[in-house]
Parts: sequence; structure tokens; C-alpha cells
Amino acid sequence: MAETSGNNRVQGWSPAGTLLVVAVAYYVGAQLGFILRFPPTTPSVLWPPNSILTATLLLTPVRRWWLYLLAALPAHLAAELPVLPLLLVFGLFATNCAEALVAAAGLRWLSDAPTRFDTLRRMVVFVLVGALFAPFISSFPDAALVAVIQGEPYSFVWRTRFFSNVLAALTIVPAVVMAVRNGLPNLRAAAPRRYLEAGLLAGGLFLASTGKFGNPSGFVLGLEYVLGLPAGLRAPVVVLLPFLLWSAVRFGPGGLSVCLVATALLAVVAGTGESGIFMTPQTAQAVLSLQILLSTTTIPLMCLAAVIEERRQASEALATRLRLEEMLSRLSAAFVHLPSTEIHRALDEWLGRLGEHLGLDCVVIAEYSRTTADELDVRAWAPSGPVKLQAVACREVPWADDQLRRRQTIAVRDVGDLPPHAHAERLMLRLYGIRSCIVVPLEAGERVLGGLAVGTTGADRAWPEPIAGWLRLVAEVFASALERTAMEDALRASEGMKSAILSSLSNGVAVLDSDGTIIAVNQSWTIEGATVGSNYVAAWHETARPGASHGRDAAAGIAAVLARERDSFAYEYTARDSRVERWYSMVVVPLNQPGGGAVVSHTDVTERKRAEVNAQRSRQELAHFTRVSTMGALAASLAHELNQPLAAILSNAQAGRRFLDAARPDLGEIRSILSDIAADDKRAGEVIERLRELFHKGATEVLLLDLNVLIRDVVKLLGSDALIRRVRMHLDIAAEPLIVAGDRIQLQQVVLNLLVNAMDAMADCPTEERVVFVQTELCDGQTARASVRDAGPGILAGQHDLLFEPFYTTKPTGMGMGLSISRSIIEAHGGLIWATNNPVCGATFSFAMPIGNGTAT
Amino acid sequence: MSPNGARIIVVDDDISVRRALSRLLISAGYQVQTFESVRDLLMNGDLGRAACLIVDVRMPGPGALELQENLSQENLSQVPGPIPIIFITGNPDVPTAVQAMKAGAVDFLSKPFSEEELFGAVEQALALRRASSDQGRMAHRRR
Repeated sequence: MAETSGNNRVQGWSPAGTLLVVAVAYYVGAQLGFILRFPPTTPSVLWPPNSILTATLLLTPVRRWWLYLLAALPAHLAAELPVLPLLLVFGLFATNCAEALVAAAGLRWLSDAPTRFDTLRRMVVFVLVGALFAPFISSFPDAALVAVIQGEPYSFVWRTRFFSNVLAALTIVPAVVMAVRNGLPNLRAAAPRRYLEAGLLAGGLFLASTGKFGNPSGFVLGLEYVLGLPAGLRAPVVVLLPFLLWSAVRFGPGGLSVCLVATALLAVVAGTGESGIFMTPQTAQAVLSLQILLSTTTIPLMCLAAVIEERRQASEALATRLRLEEMLSRLSAAFVHLPSTEIHRALDEWLGRLGEHLGLDCVVIAEYSRTTADELDVRAWAPSGPVKLQAVACREVPWADDQLRRRQTIAVRDVGDLPPHAHAERLMLRLYGIRSCIVVPLEAGERVLGGLAVGTTGADRAWPEPIAGWLRLVAEVFASALERTAMEDALRASEGMKSAILSSLSNGVAVLDSDGTIIAVNQSWTIEGATVGSNYVAAWHETARPGASHGRDAAAGIAAVLARERDSFAYEYTARDSRVERWYSMVVVPLNQPGGGAVVSHTDVTERKRAEVNAQRSRQELAHFTRVSTMGALAASLAHELNQPLAAILSNAQAGRRFLDAARPDLGEIRSILSDIAADDKRAGEVIERLRELFHKGATEVLLLDLNVLIRDVVKLLGSDALIRRVRMHLDIAAEPLIVAGDRIQLQQVVLNLLVNAMDAMADCPTEERVVFVQTELCDGQTARASVRDAGPGILAGQHDLLFEPFYTTKPTGMGMGLSISRSIIEAHGGLIWATNNPVCGATFSFAMPIGNGTAT
Repeated sequence: MSPNGARIIVVDDDISVRRALSRLLISAGYQVQTFESVRDLLMNGDLGRAACLIVDVRMPGPGALELQENLSQENLSQVPGPIPIIFITGNPDVPTAVQAMKAGAVDFLSKPFSEEELFGAVEQALALRRASSDQGRMAHRRR
């Protein structure tokens, strides 16, 4: 704890005024001492100046001691020079100073609070060191001086001085110190009843000390006889005790010490006055007895007062602590279950309660800004209510910022006690009119969130450790509340982000627990009959119809994910939504949480499906179109193909008629003609059938086909075209059937494309080089491969990648769709199509397809 | 030489067409010899005795146009003068027709053709053949 409060400072007194007061008090004390001595001897019965010096030194910082001692010198000279020789005056000043120094230094060294007399320990230390030891030590040189210079008896002087200083120290030092430290506030704070009680006590004391109680013989104590007290002194001793006890019990060490000063003065005056100013041995003996009596009475009384005060303070501290503890527990209770949104309002409220409870003028909670951290967001309370303050930049209060970050408590009894480099803080506090304040860090685990500051504007205030400790606990409650707010805010922000993301998804998303019950859905979730709380797996089961397996399949898939049997489950299904069929894609993935569960996401893929269907349709249309245009190119050869049988039929028919016209028709020949006609007609029909098949614009029909047969058919179809183009076709067909699953028309088109391309490629070649090699083979027993090799110019460098792209063509009239469509067909069949240049000349286009199971249909 | 006894060679790769054509020509009184390709004709045929050739334009191997070129370059015929050729085709295209006519084809028939077209062309070819052989004989005599 950075204790910077000035305990020893005489608050509110200017140094010059203090010096003057010290000097005047010293002088008055000395005059009083002179009055109370037995001339012609030097020592006084009660010598207050030394006690006044001691009190002054106890109340002032060590570094200024010399100043006060110096201030006492003129008073000393003024008081003593008229009476005593110069040498003795200086000598006595030295011994007086020595006594005060020994007492003050000893107390500072041994007592935890040298200016306080409120515990037995402090009081005992004070009595032993300040009231007994210092006078004891300093009386030796003092008595020696007096004995040497004045020629008085050493032991008598020592004894008188010792006791007079003991008595003065016992009574005056506590009285002065306490009066200066707490006198005014205590007087101000006291109730009128206390004033009345004090007045009664003062009156009683006065009567008792001046012996106006009538005949006191009835109260004689045996002690008086033992000590041989004169009869006149009996009354005070006996009668005073109750009053002194009264003051000790009711007014504490301060009240007692004031009473004791008064009593001692009165008693000493009475004691010395009785025998006049002339000293007789008997009187001297009586005064000594009086000194001893008063001292021995005072010491236990002081201790008693200290014990009582200690108890009182302890019980008061206990009560305070109980109050504080109670408040702390209420505070913790108030904050522990508070929703984070309420915390700032509650903070304002509790800052106020704190301020009212501790009688503060301001309570401030400064929190390091969560966003910038170089700023303190401030919430403040003043007796008038919550105060709105602007955020404070950390660099405006560098010292306090540093202290807070190092988890230090800053306690200042007075703003002026702040260290010199805390200049900015001092200015700021003065600006707000703060006089005393304490700042404790708001610690949450490893982090310092800010500080809790409380302060007063009017009176200064000490911040003892119990209060500071308690404030640290309060700060801890606040800090944990703020930390929680921060965490909840962060959590809420993150949750908010997540739910915003979730709700902005167009997918319907639902979270299932491990049983398949829906525990949360997002806004896009519109699955009928599947609301939060219902079981999603059961919902799928309900949609299962006899003969339609999809409900059961989906339910089984989701259940498998929930059981952690599979990592994900994807499913596409159709659902009727207001008479429109829509496609949905469902994806189920496990929920990464200890309790298990799954996340279901539904996407409406109707548009995608439509696009797919449209693409398929346009692909088919395009395929058909290219097929038709290929047919256009083939029209010539097809005409040839058809014209052959037609020509044969016509010629046969006409020949037949001629034979019939003969006188004796050769019926055998006519029969032969007719069967030839029938065969040719059939042949023409086959050609037309093949044509129709090629032009047929059918939907995909996947069958098991023998690729060899298919290729032979296409080659046959192209035979006349090849003839026209003077291209020889060389077939190298695999011995075993190559059964593939595919669409006959589409695959025919691929082969047709490749063959026509191959022939086109050789249009400019010499006739004898125009050869197309068609080869089929079985690779690895798994794959059917077909290749078409030409002897054309081959593929241009760098064009490999473009070959299969749509609209890539090298032909002046080509569309560039043939290979592109071929590729899409082959890939749709799970195969591959590629092209390479031959070692010598030309290119080879190949495609490969997986072998299907079964026999060709 | 009687028209009815004239010897006509038919070259076509399609057996159906060959059979039908030869029947029709035989029914009209011609002698017919058929070959399935130009190569077959050149190897086994007796061009010297042929009065007329009916050749399919498009066939595997050397076609009618090549044969025509061949015939016009070296007169294989023992009879002086070129043998008239009638082209038949199942796939008529203008360039081929023009080329054939330029090279001296008697006619260019598109399949299917009627008997009138065929016999008309054949008669024309035989007439041409006769005329050229008369000229040749006269020239021979002059020599």
C-alpha cells in the first residue's frame, strides 16, 4: 500500500503559525513552571515546556524538528534569562531539548503510532519511553548543571526535576497531541449531551481539586498516611479519583489527559500554595509525595483509558466491519446473478450506496475502455446523484495509470501528499475539489480492468488498511461483474454473429439432439411437420409410403449420423409444395458437442435441378442438331446407299416385265427377279430405318451394348461416304464383345463424329494415304477403348486443350460442336475422351468407357 | 453388228445392281458381262469386244473416271476409237458429271433410272461406237 498520508503533520496549520504557537506555549509553560517551583531551588514541581516540545516533535516531521527546537529557544531565553544565569539557561535548554528528542525519537522508533494513545501497547510505550525514560535520562545532566552552577543538592534537584517532568509528560503530551490531532473534529462532532457531561465533569473536578467539598476526613485513604501527605491534600486525591475514572471511561485517553492536566495544575498549585512559596523540608516532602501520587495514579488511569479506548475502538471496528461485511455480502449477492445488461445500472446504484454508507463525497469507477484500452471510461457518484463524466485518457493520469496497472492501492489523506511526479493527478483532484481519496485496482484474475476511487472533498480522511482492504473486496465484486459483462457482451456478440449468419442463410438449418429431436432451427427452416421439439427422424418415417422408400432411407441416414456411424449423410428428394414439385438437397452432419446430435441443412435445389434438366435438354437438342447437320453432310452417301437398291429394284422390275412379254416367259428367271426385288426392298428399308434411328430425337436410354457392334454399324453407315471421299476404312475390332452401359444413339454419334472428323482431316491428302484405322480393345478387363486414327495433318501444337471446347473448329464450315458434344456424352457415360498426335502423321482420337456387367441387349 | 447382239460390260460394286442391270440388258437382247470393280475389269475383261461400258462412278479402288482416263490415254481396244462409257451413280454430283462428260462420257445416269433412259443411252453409245469404228476402218483403208 502506497501510504502517502502525512500522519505527523499538523493539518491546517501554517508552518509559521505553528512555530509561533510552539514558542508561545513554551513560554507560557515555562512561566507556569517557574510559578510552581520552590525558590530558591531551580527545579519546578510541574515543568510543562519539555512536554510541549515533545508533543510538538511528535506532531511534526523529523526534518523540521530543528526549526521547532529553534523556535523554542527565544521563548526559553525570554522566560529564564531574567531568573537564571546565562550559562545555566543554555544548559537547561540543551537538556530540555535532549529530553524532548529522546522522547520523540524513542516513541517514533518503538510505537507503531507515536501520536496515538488508544491502545494499551501504545500507552505503555509512551509511559515507559516518553514519560519515564526521557526525563530519567535528561535529569542527570540537568541536575548536574544546577548543582554545579547553583550549588544546589544534586539528588534533590534530580528527583524534583524527574518527577516534575514525568508528571508533565504524562499529562500534557497526550493532551496536547490529541487536542491538536483530533480536538476540533471531535468537538465539532460531539453531541450537546456530551458537552453537558463534560461540563459536569469539569465542575466536579474543579470542586474536588480545590478542596471545596467540605471535610474530607471521611474519605481518607491509608496511602496518604503512608506517604505522609498533608491533611490539605487528602481531599483531592480521594475525591478526584471518581472524576478521573469518569473521564477515562467516558472520554477516553484524550478526556482523561485533559482532566489530568487540569487536576495536576490545580493540585500542584494547591499543594505548593499551602506552604507558601518558601520551601520547607516538610513541604518539599509533601510536593514529592504529591508528584509521586499523581504520577502513580495517572499511569494506571492512562492505561485504563487506553484499554477502554482500545476496546471501544475494537468493538467499533468490529461493528464497522460487520456493517461493511454485510454490505459487501449484499453487494456480492446483488451482482452475482445480475444479467449483464443490468450491471451498469446496478453499478450506479451501488456506487451511491457505497458513498452514502462511508460518508464519501465521490465514488468513481474507472474502467479501461474495452476497445482502446488507453482510455478510462468513468462512472461517478456524488451526493447529488450519479455524475456523467467524460472518459479520461490514460496519458492524462500517467502515475495513477501506472499504479493501477501494477495493482497498487493509492491512498492519499491529502492531495498534497501525492508524490511530486503525480502532478497531473494532483491537478485533476484539485480541479474536482477532492481532498482525500483512495484508489484500488479492479482486478479480475490476471487483468486489471480499472480502478475504484472514493474520496472526500471537505475534511481530510485517513484510509486505514481495513477500509482499503474492504474497498479492494468491493472492487473485486465490481471487477468480476464488469468482467462478466465483458464476457457476456463478447458472447452475445459472437452468438449474435452466429445467429445472424444462421438466419441469413437461405438454407433451412436445424439442430438435432442425440435423439433426433429438433432443438433449434433458423428462419429459413420451413419444413412442414418438423418444428422445434418434434423428432426429425420420426417425421421422416411418417413420410414413408408403401412402395416409396425415400422416407425410410432418409430416416436411416439421419439415424446413422446421430449414432456416429457415418460422418455425413446427403440426400436429394422431391416434395410437392402447393402443386409445384420442388427438389431439396439435405445434408446431415454430426454436431461437435459432448452430447452429440446433428445439424441438418436443407437446400432448395429446384432451380439447379431445372437448370440441369434444361442443360440436358439443350445438350440433347444440340446433339440432335449436330447429328442432323452431320446427316446433311452424309446425305449424299445416304442417297447413294438408298439409290443402289432402288436402282436394282427398278431394273429388275422392268427386266421382269420384259421377260413376261416374251412368248414363253422364263418363270424361273422371273421368280429370281422377284426375290431379288424383295431383298433390295428390304435393304432399302433397312437403310431408311438406320436413317430414322440416326435422326431420332430421343431421350437417353441406357442399355448394355456391344461397342464392337455399334462401331461396325456406324462404319457401315459411313461406308458409302468413305467411298465418295476415297477414304479406306481399316477395322481392327477386339475379338471379345465390349459390353458397355450406354445410350446407343449417343455413342453412335460419338463414333460418327470421330469418323467424319478423321475423313475430313484427310480431305487434302493424296488418295492412297486416306486411311482411317478404327480399333477397339479391352484394357485391364475393365475398360473398353476405341480409337480412330487418321493420317491427316494432326493436331496443331497448343490446340490439345481447345479441341474439346465448344465452337473450336478448324473446318471452314464446321460448328465446332462435334468433339464438345462427344466429350459430354462420353463423360456422362463415366468415360474419357482424348486425342494424341501419331508418331508419323495424323492424330488418334480415343475414348474409353467402363465395362458393364451383362450381355448386350 | 446387230444392236441386239452388242456386247456390254457392266462394272458396279453392288451385286444387286449388277444382277438387275444385266437382266434388263439381256432382256433387251444384249450380251452382258459384269465386273465388280475396275481392277477386275482391267485384269479379266475383254475390252476389245465390248461395244459399250456401263460403269458406276464411285467404287472402292480405281473408279470410272480413272478407267476413262486410262482408256483415252492408251487405246486398249483392238477396235480403233474409244469405247463409249455410260456413267451411272447413286449419288449424282455436278463436278463429277461435268468431269465425266468432258472426258467423253456418253451419258451420266442417276440411279434409279428407267429402262428407257438406260436403253436410250446404250443405243446412243452403240451408235457412237459404230461411227467411230467406221471412221477407223476408213482411216485404216487409207493407210
